[in-house]
Amino acid sequence: METLLVPMICKVDKVIQETPDIRTYRLKFRDEGMMEKFTFLPGQFVEFSLLGSGECTFCIASSGTRKGYFDCSIKKAGVVTADIHTSIEEGDEVGIRGPFGNWFPLEDIKGKNLLFVGGGIGLAPLRSLIQYCIDNRSDYKDFTILYGARTSADLCYKDEIKEWQDNKSLKVVLTIDKPEDTWTTHVGVVPKILEEIVKPVIENTKVITCGPPIMIKYTIQSLLKLGFADKDIITTLEMKMQCGLGKCGRCNIGSTYVCKDGPVFTNEQLKNLPDEF
Amino acid sequence: MSVETFVTDKAGLITFYEAIMASHETYAPVEKFGKFDFKQVKSLAECDPESPIAKTQSIKPLFFPRSAKVMKYVATSTGTEVSEVDEDPLAVKRVILGAKHCDARALQVLDKVYNWDYIDTDYQKRRENTVIISTRCDKADTHCFCTSLDYDVENLNAMDVLVVHGSDGKVYIKARTEKGSTLLNTEVTRHASRVTEEAAAPDLKKQYEAFAGSFRLKMDYSEVNSKLSKIFDTPEFENVSGNCVSCNTCAFVCPTCHCFKISDEKIKDTGLRYKSYDSCNNGYFTLMAGGHNPRPAKYRRWRQRAMHKFVYYKERFGENLCVGCGKCTIACPVNISIFEVVNQVAVGSRQ
Repeated sequence: METLLVPMICKVDKVIQETPDIRTYRLKFRDEGMMEKFTFLPGQFVEFSLLGSGECTFCIASSGTRKGYFDCSIKKAGVVTADIHTSIEEGDEVGIRGPFGNWFPLEDIKGKNLLFVGGGIGLAPLRSLIQYCIDNRSDYKDFTILYGARTSADLCYKDEIKEWQDNKSLKVVLTIDKPEDTWTTHVGVVPKILEEIVKPVIENTKVITCGPPIMIKYTIQSLLKLGFADKDIITTLEMKMQCGLGKCGRCNIGSTYVCKDGPVFTNEQLKNLPDEF
Repeated sequence: MSVETFVTDKAGLITFYEAIMASHETYAPVEKFGKFDFKQVKSLAECDPESPIAKTQSIKPLFFPRSAKVMKYVATSTGTEVSEVDEDPLAVKRVILGAKHCDARALQVLDKVYNWDYIDTDYQKRRENTVIISTRCDKADTHCFCTSLDYDVENLNAMDVLVVHGSDGKVYIKARTEKGSTLLNTEVTRHASRVTEEAAAPDLKKQYEAFAGSFRLKMDYSEVNSKLSKIFDTPEFENVSGNCVSCNTCAFVCPTCHCFKISDEKIKDTGLRYKSYDSCNNGYFTLMAGGHNPRPAKYRRWRQRAMHKFVYYKERFGENLCVGCGKCTIACPVNISIFEVVNQVAVGSRQ
């Protein structure tokens, strides 16, 4: 086990300030051969070390279809993430273990309409799948992204969202919680906009959602009210993790290891877990 | 596997142990401040292979150390160099004398979690290179309840060599595995004579029955398993966990608890990463950056502890995550007994 806990060194290729408290770190393995071997699928995560400060769990926010790098988007939320924001700059080195966990059910969503529902930093894991699906666009039918944040400044990936808006094969709906002078589109929490504006087609649609726990909760309630089946609602869980290997016991919910059996679950699977997340 | 049984007397057993110590790296219970912990020993004068169960730590730290270095690293402005730490001192060929049955059994339970999906190769190597010699207890201690659990204490095969004190000063030494058989064939034959299984059986049975009759605590754990799984929301967990000071001692002495944390220590450019024991009773165990904690209350953490031991691990790996050794109860500073907790929650009465 100890050997499995030793990270590999990555160089920070680029730091992007997404919002006042979210930065995206674009990473490349120092050992170039490693980048070839590091294959991952949307939904998987890594253990990210700022050596001396600690190790944290972050989803991979980019898709393996975009070669030569991977992204982690990190919100300043605790001790290690604050240290990461303060001390990591382009050219610095960090430790990475992974990829870990399962991935979004790529076979199940093929040939379906896709509806992504994201909130705040919750767009990060969805972005990996969105990029993957854009890069395999012909495999899917209608493609809708609903994304919300507290304020317009808190919207992540602003440049990339513009690209999505310019892409005629995607429908992008953005919302913020409260009105702002310069904001001309939707205002309201994500579940409300989902029900009132997006009004999704239920048949043959898979919904992939991630955001703050409270948003996920109300989004799932809205989706069920709209008539979606539990098996067609897919989310990715945030739990405290450390080893990523199904050993350290931290991420257990009942007999489920979120780090191994998840982090991606359908609502059908979530319903069978003890109410502890 | 050939089952081999030898018979000798106490003097023969001592000679057998001394022969092992002379030719193998040996660990046995060593006393310090009235308590016993497993240490490397060279002679019987240093240790007591029949140390009292209530005062002896488990053998788990010889396979899963309390706090182990994962790696060291040097991080300077020119780059980061990571190195794995020195040779694993626990991976050498070795013999453990005086492991209690419950502690030997605990390793069989731990094997399940260490060998699923990602294989913990360090643990596995330590297991493979160790021969475990275990003496069957003659009497249960106040907090023992191994015979209540779902494993066969009488025919336990978790040790490589079984030692039983029979009648009239006779001592039986039995191989339980190939590793044990190899050890006996090189070390015991000079000090003991072979007996047939049939000849030894009545005396072994008699000893086991006397032992099994000495338990204060008895419960049907198959009933506990099924009842606990249906009462996630019972308020009883609040009642039973009230005195807990969340010190995690129960988990640290438990032979089956295996939760750990990873932590860094860095001074100037040089750092160490450790893997150390942790516990689900710890209030920070599931606390996430940003403040969300799925188990913010003590009763929820106690529920996790009880459920993981008697429901979740059983569902996942087919075993209770408890061997009935009573170590947690003995060590608890506020006298919480897992036996009583589970009994009260699942069955609804104190014993």
